[in-house]
Amino acid sequence: MNMASAPAEIVAEPLLSLSAITKRFGNFTALSDVSLDIRPGEIHCILGENGAGKSTLCNLIFGVHRPDGGSMRYRGASFQPSGPADSLAQGIAMVHQHFSLVPDMSVVDNVLLGRQRGLLNRAECARQLEKLAVDYGLPLDPFAKIEDLSVGERQRVEIVKCLIRDPSLFVLDEPTAVLLPDEIAALLDVCHRVASSGRAVVLVTHKLAEIKKIADRVTVLRGGRVVATSDKPAAEIDALVRAMIQGNVDTLDQSAASILGLEPVKHIGHGTENDNTPKTKVEALQIDGLTVRDYQGVTRLDNFTLTVDRGEIVGVAGVEGNGQSELTAVLAGMMTPSEGKIYLGDINLTAKSPKEITAAGVGIVPEDRHAVGCVTGMSLAENIYLNRLDEFTRFGFLQRSALEREAAALMQRFDVRARGPGALFSSLSGGNQQKAVLAREITLPNLTCLVAAQPTRGLDVGAVAAVYSHIRAACERGVAILLVSSELDELLTVADRIVVLYRGRIMGSCVADPDRREAIGAMMAGQPQ
Amino acid sequence: MTWELFAVFLGSSIRLATPLLLAGIGEMVSERAGVLNMSIEGMMLTAAFAAAVGSWATGDPMLGLLIGIIAVQPIALLQAVLSNTLRANQIVSGIGINILVLGATTLAYREIFGARSRAEIPGLAKIKPPLLGDIPVIGSAVFEQVWLLYAGIALIVATALVLRYTSIGIAIQAAGAEPKAVDKSGLSVTRIRYGCVLFAGFMASLSGAFLSIGDIHTFTEGMTRGAGYLAIASVIFGKWRIGGTVFASLLFGAATALQFQLPALGIAVPNALLIMLPYLLALLAVGGLVGRQLAPATLGEPYRR
Repeated sequence: MNMASAPAEIVAEPLLSLSAITKRFGNFTALSDVSLDIRPGEIHCILGENGAGKSTLCNLIFGVHRPDGGSMRYRGASFQPSGPADSLAQGIAMVHQHFSLVPDMSVVDNVLLGRQRGLLNRAECARQLEKLAVDYGLPLDPFAKIEDLSVGERQRVEIVKCLIRDPSLFVLDEPTAVLLPDEIAALLDVCHRVASSGRAVVLVTHKLAEIKKIADRVTVLRGGRVVATSDKPAAEIDALVRAMIQGNVDTLDQSAASILGLEPVKHIGHGTENDNTPKTKVEALQIDGLTVRDYQGVTRLDNFTLTVDRGEIVGVAGVEGNGQSELTAVLAGMMTPSEGKIYLGDINLTAKSPKEITAAGVGIVPEDRHAVGCVTGMSLAENIYLNRLDEFTRFGFLQRSALEREAAALMQRFDVRARGPGALFSSLSGGNQQKAVLAREITLPNLTCLVAAQPTRGLDVGAVAAVYSHIRAACERGVAILLVSSELDELLTVADRIVVLYRGRIMGSCVADPDRREAIGAMMAGQPQ
Repeated sequence: MTWELFAVFLGSSIRLATPLLLAGIGEMVSERAGVLNMSIEGMMLTAAFAAAVGSWATGDPMLGLLIGIIAVQPIALLQAVLSNTLRANQIVSGIGINILVLGATTLAYREIFGARSRAEIPGLAKIKPPLLGDIPVIGSAVFEQVWLLYAGIALIVATALVLRYTSIGIAIQAAGAEPKAVDKSGLSVTRIRYGCVLFAGFMASLSGAFLSIGDIHTFTEGMTRGAGYLAIASVIFGKWRIGGTVFASLLFGAATALQFQLPALGIAVPNALLIMLPYLLALLAVGGLVGRQLAPATLGEPYRR
């Protein structure tokens, strides 16, 4: 056993080392032959696209899953956690990609959950929280209920839940996805402070700006394998990205590259490119004073007024949960507005059914493609023509051969990769599912307006680029496009104009100019500019 | 209405509310942890039967109560295995258990008692608490109750304190509202939910034993007659809170008591209508007077990591 070795050697040893780790889910190999070391005092970033195995790696370290092959050593001893309890006891704490907080309990109770036995000492815990607030700059009201906190504050609770255990190894799985720019800065600062006290931080991300700013070392995963490592990540960033997406950065679609933070974002939106063919302004979508109150009487969308012209892309920015879901649901006819009107040209679409809205020429790419965008248990062909299946029936019977022929053509046009038009929709990857949904909505015969909500969520770089080019092509054809996204970079890249939603109101609007990023960020946080 | 009649009404309301109260609190704890026990009805019936048989065979109602409690635990364990480990539909499996128990107890009752039906069974003693019981007029009418009621009240207070002030309490609430948080904090969602279902079984067994050897000192086939479902309704009516559940149980108890009081007052209401009353109240409660959004977020959903 290594336990007998001299103290000096133990210090030099990595805190955690993985060797030849393999993890399979069914016949899908999520991780294969992954080896890496985490040293005390370092910030180790794990970089990779969606589906590269980053979260699986974290879950193995945290004991949620067990590896099928290979071994882990922690503090010089063999490490085989059988569950989160083992890892926590060993001083490993993890902030997960999705929050796991109990909404109707207080901050203190959430922090105490699983940490204390018997009677709860809430006052003592509140004191500890106040100390952490000072040490790490994480102010929190210990007795506030989680459901009353903002997304940024909830993230702080998740972090405090870990820090209060005084972990030796702090794992964060894509913690910045939902945060505002200055909240991200604060989070990175916390990572710095944790690492500078001799503990190790593992930060999973696909944002290069964060890596440049903070990483001591980087491991790049692609397809479940380690494809690159770097001790000087800031200097070698281009090589790391190339390894991540397995391709030449230069040939990457410019917009997709800017999403990754590869180069300064240039505005390549539609308006600036086609100055030689001035568009006549034709109002397509008019939203007037749209207000949505939920069953509890809480105003979710407040007097939302917006006009989208034909051939224009208007972006709706904002942190999630500020009324975007309600806006798209109302536009799709899935929710009845409390007040306000929606017009498409002269057609009143207020509180019409989804069928009528589709017939009027509005395409909807919904936020949650699994819940409302498709039927995963049906074939790709049926999904891709789901709203026009009537056209493929004769005497009430579905003409499958015609349907699949047409679907195959669309698959080719939109680069939807699947076994064939008859493939089960659930067997497609997320990117291909999204391309199929987009294909269906964009090819509506009389499309005049497209509402796309978070159209690139969970997609890899290639798919993102494809989605952008289809949206732009539709815009060129004179379709009015409303793009709702929580990724500010996406809006700055694709949209002509941005409006910012905050607590259901339009906080402000401006042209989609990367120089306005700070101002937009402030509006997203609720400060009018 | 004279004071005496009112006191009798109050006393019988409490007596009739007791089974709902006991079973309801157990069910509430289980639902807070995320498990819906439709089998509460079957558990009560099992306890009613086992306690009656135990008390009759041993001649000691305390032993009868103990036998009732023990007899229910395997059923609670079955429900826990079905709803957690096997991830079966909790409503269907619960109703299945209820039908099974109804058949089993009816058969066993006929086998054991046969012609001796309506045999007198030794029951649990009534007590009168020292000060309250000495109040004139209402003293004995209201407060002279089977001791199991007072034990139950103590259990309910203890449950409230545990939920509010202990780590187990917040773990139970979190298991129903956000089981992932429980799992990631190193606790076992499965273990918490098993524990809560077994606790619900324990409370249901007290409730069932109260029906047979506490209240009327006999067992009749299918004697719970939907009391378990009423207990579930009182949890919903009470918005998954202890105070609310207690209030709802008392309300349903009072509605039942009216059946006996109104005819005594000479008010002519068809008896069948009065028998419907508590169930009608429950229907209104479950049907929308109480907002659905108050239910524990993962109620009825087995946890998958």
